[in-house]
Amino acid sequence: MLKFLRQAKDYAQEAVQAARYIGQGLAVTFDHMQRRPITVQYPYEKLIPSERWRGRIHFEFDKCISCEVCVRVCPINLPVVDWEYNKEVKKKELKHYSIDFGVCIFCGNCVEYCPTNCLSMTEEYEMAVYDRHELNYDGVALGRLPYKVTADPMVTPLRELAYLPAGVLDPHNLPPGSTRAGQQPEEIVAQHQAQKPSKEINQ
Amino acid sequence: MNPGIDLQASVIHVLTDLGVPEDLAPVLWVPLPLLLMLAAATVGVLVAVWLERKVSAAAQQRVGPEYIGPLGILAPVADGLKLIFKEDVIPAKADPLLFTLGPAIVVIPVFLSYLVVPFGQKMVITDLGIGIFFWIALASVVPIGLLMAGYASNNKYALLGGLRAAAQSISYEIPLALAVLAIVMMSNSLSTIDIVQQQSGYGILGWNLWRQPVGLVIFWVAALAECERLPFDLPEAEEELVAGYQTEYTGMKFGLFYLGSYVNLILSSLLFAVLYLGGWESPVSVSWLVGLVGVPENTPWVEVITASLGVVMTLFKAYLLLFLAILLRWTVPRVRIDQLLDLGWKFLLPVSLVNLLATAALKLAFPVAFGG
Repeated sequence: MLKFLRQAKDYAQEAVQAARYIGQGLAVTFDHMQRRPITVQYPYEKLIPSERWRGRIHFEFDKCISCEVCVRVCPINLPVVDWEYNKEVKKKELKHYSIDFGVCIFCGNCVEYCPTNCLSMTEEYEMAVYDRHELNYDGVALGRLPYKVTADPMVTPLRELAYLPAGVLDPHNLPPGSTRAGQQPEEIVAQHQAQKPSKEINQ
Repeated sequence: MNPGIDLQASVIHVLTDLGVPEDLAPVLWVPLPLLLMLAAATVGVLVAVWLERKVSAAAQQRVGPEYIGPLGILAPVADGLKLIFKEDVIPAKADPLLFTLGPAIVVIPVFLSYLVVPFGQKMVITDLGIGIFFWIALASVVPIGLLMAGYASNNKYALLGGLRAAAQSISYEIPLALAVLAIVMMSNSLSTIDIVQQQSGYGILGWNLWRQPVGLVIFWVAALAECERLPFDLPEAEEELVAGYQTEYTGMKFGLFYLGSYVNLILSSLLFAVLYLGGWESPVSVSWLVGLVGVPENTPWVEVITASLGVVMTLFKAYLLLFLAILLRWTVPRVRIDQLLDLGWKFLLPVSLVNLLATAALKLAFPVAFGG
């Protein structure tokens, strides 16, 4: 009899616990309703890519010394460097350069290792095409700069979540004052600006 | 208790004044509330679908439909129009008769149940003596249609979905009926009008909410299961069964299922409001307020205001419950089929039986508070 009563008590406690958990869950869902929507109305609004965004690669033809470091550091040896040795000036002469962005994984190794900084990352990410061969960019296409989101009159630029003012997108149930790992972009900017004046004095 | 506005008598009166013979006038009246209810139920579904999409969006920090009409209010209309104009496909090896009959059998009983939903003292299509029982009886017709649709589709997912729907409906009808029975015992009547009557007079304090807290939870869980709403949407669980019994349906036949599920949800919310939240009663008793102002209760303008307040109150309560259902949808994960049957047979059934017995005991012990 006692055993049965204990079982009944445990069962009732479990039921109450389950109901409380559902209540907590409902509170969380309800809390979400008053938060700012994260929607970006895409063609009309666009996020401003962060400063370390790895987008389509930009290439400056004239800076290239055809050293092929980009090919060697590329995980799949992707960049095609077509050069010819010019005996008179004893230099390699670049004829064609191309990267196929249908295959590129945007790791940024080539940009990192390029000795003359002729490769760089742009913030372009809209690379939808009707044929995959259109993604094979030659030297001319690689030299084009993307249109900046902030400069486009048709587009409302939006800041990314981490760049919004403090407190706008606070998560729930975290110890007060906790932030994401690493420095916030505005902290980096503040540090940078604090260092600047001292440098200028030295010069 | 003031009977309130009597639309039937007024309309018949107007008709006879216009020269319609006295025998014909009541016949002309008959289709009016039916058509009104049909239209109201359909519009109610549009509102419910819009609410579902907007509240779901808000719960997930999205915006939801925005450009189709102001605040996307025409999105459900666009959905409906699309379904109407879509090609009606019957799979080659399906049973055409059962395949067509299925959705109809699912939808018709749900719409018929609106016969007993009261919006005011006289604002109900028929004040059936067996009111709430009529709803429970009709609700048990629905799984037959679902099973029919699932079987006729000639598709394993559809069949599984239909079987699950039948099992679920049958399991949850019993706790549902027992929860309703406790209310019926307190009201001494199956009529929805009488059930609301019995809760009236004390504003929010008189509602069955306080006398039947356990029954309320049981009713809500069972009603969600009957409507196949999200914690219990196993019959159409898309991760396992594609779309359950709806898998092979397109066009208006699918539209009927879609319509039926939302009409059913609104119906359950309305009946929840009637059974537990005092139906058309306001949280503060209107007759008491009117008495406070000192206007006689049968003044025409007071009657009109009371009647419209009653309709607004009923709808407000129903949509509040709908909101709760949507919130639950994004809070609670789907249960497994064994958990579902476990909850139905091993938890809700015994608890609702105990609730019924406790209500009976309380009714004998405190006949004043529990409708002796």
